[in-house]
Amino acid sequence: MAEVVNRGPGSYIYATTRMRVRKIKLVPREDYLRMLNMSLPEITRFIEETQYKAEIDELSSSFSGIDLMEVALSWNLAKEYQKVLDITPGILKEFTQNYLRRWDIQNVLNILRGKTQGLSSGKIKAVLIPAGGLDKDLLDSLLNEDSPERVVDALKGTGFSSLLGEEFPAAQESGSFARLENELYKQYFADLIVAAKSGVKGGVAFLEYIRFEIDIRNIQTLFRLKTGRVSDVRDMMIEGGSFTVEELQRLAGTESIDDLIDAVKSRVRVAPLDALLNEVRENMSIHEIENRLTCVMLEQMEKLSKRHPFSICPILVYLKKKRYEVENLRALARGKESNIPSERIQDYLVM
Amino acid sequence: MVAETIMTVEVAEASAAGMKAIGAGLAVGLTGIATGIAEMAIGPAAVGATAENKDIFGLVLLLTVIPETIVIFGLVVALLMIF
Repeated sequence: MAEVVNRGPGSYIYATTRMRVRKIKLVPREDYLRMLNMSLPEITRFIEETQYKAEIDELSSSFSGIDLMEVALSWNLAKEYQKVLDITPGILKEFTQNYLRRWDIQNVLNILRGKTQGLSSGKIKAVLIPAGGLDKDLLDSLLNEDSPERVVDALKGTGFSSLLGEEFPAAQESGSFARLENELYKQYFADLIVAAKSGVKGGVAFLEYIRFEIDIRNIQTLFRLKTGRVSDVRDMMIEGGSFTVEELQRLAGTESIDDLIDAVKSRVRVAPLDALLNEVRENMSIHEIENRLTCVMLEQMEKLSKRHPFSICPILVYLKKKRYEVENLRALARGKESNIPSERIQDYLVM
Repeated sequence: MVAETIMTVEVAEASAAGMKAIGAGLAVGLTGIATGIAEMAIGPAAVGATAENKDIFGLVLLLTVIPETIVIFGLVVALLMIF
């Protein structure tokens, strides 16, 4: 049988155009504002008229209310990401798979946490999103394991095994998975940097973005730690960004937020970030800072995808925007369920 | 001894007709290649966009064939040269 030719610009153009069209179909800002004035059943009906129809129809006999929304959103996200993997050819697919490993980390941690706390497989399954490389069948087999140790054993050969082998016993003993989680994400970013340098078209641009994302994450962590007064931050910082871990440790020790902002501004020269950091000086809540930093990150990614239209960037922009759409809808639904005022919910939306 | 070449009227006319034919061939051939190169990017984009939204098939078909004008210009030039 003849093989599909993936060389040349055609496959990039095909995949990136599909992603652009999909991005247009995402929920626009006006619809979020409209949904803020709706009740939960109205929101469910509203999103049923969009791309979530299939999932809501399929699940409406088993779930209702907030559970229906949650599960439908997770299913849709997983389905959408798997579809993107199907569409992307050759090296683009490998790169996308690497990027989606974030979901594998989340799923593995959820299973380990659930198993450690003795939760039933059904309850753990409800929070899993099989959007990464570990598919539904593999996740089901992990859920059927009796103990967290057996889950770790079953993950041998998946790329997590060495880190899990090193860190899991200590995590289980202390009862906190925070360090294990940090280490897994650090490895994830290190692997992404290696993949970006592997020769994929747009990889150099993406490397620039990954560094920016690492910077934003480190800055977010620094702002969080400023209120918590933690002395040693080295374990919590991700390597590979504009700052070394030692520099970040020094920044964490600065006296005021102003010193931290000045140091960041002198090193990370991105116009929207500059504007945001100026606003941060004027008393902004930690949550608002994090939300705005995420918006800056998305804006930068969008710019990159326009500068490199036929590269990996448009695909990753779609994956990121889709993720935030699902998070926004979940925040909206949860907020409405808990009778939180619309203004407060709006603060939590990434629009 | 110097070899002399005698150019008769018939030979000159045949040579001119041959040159015209080569020119016409180049006009169509080169513009055909240019059209192909232009469509190489538009084609996959059109197929990708149609795969996501079938309603735009008519529009993308139109966009895909726009570079065909290049080869049509070449064809017109070739016909003008020959006739």
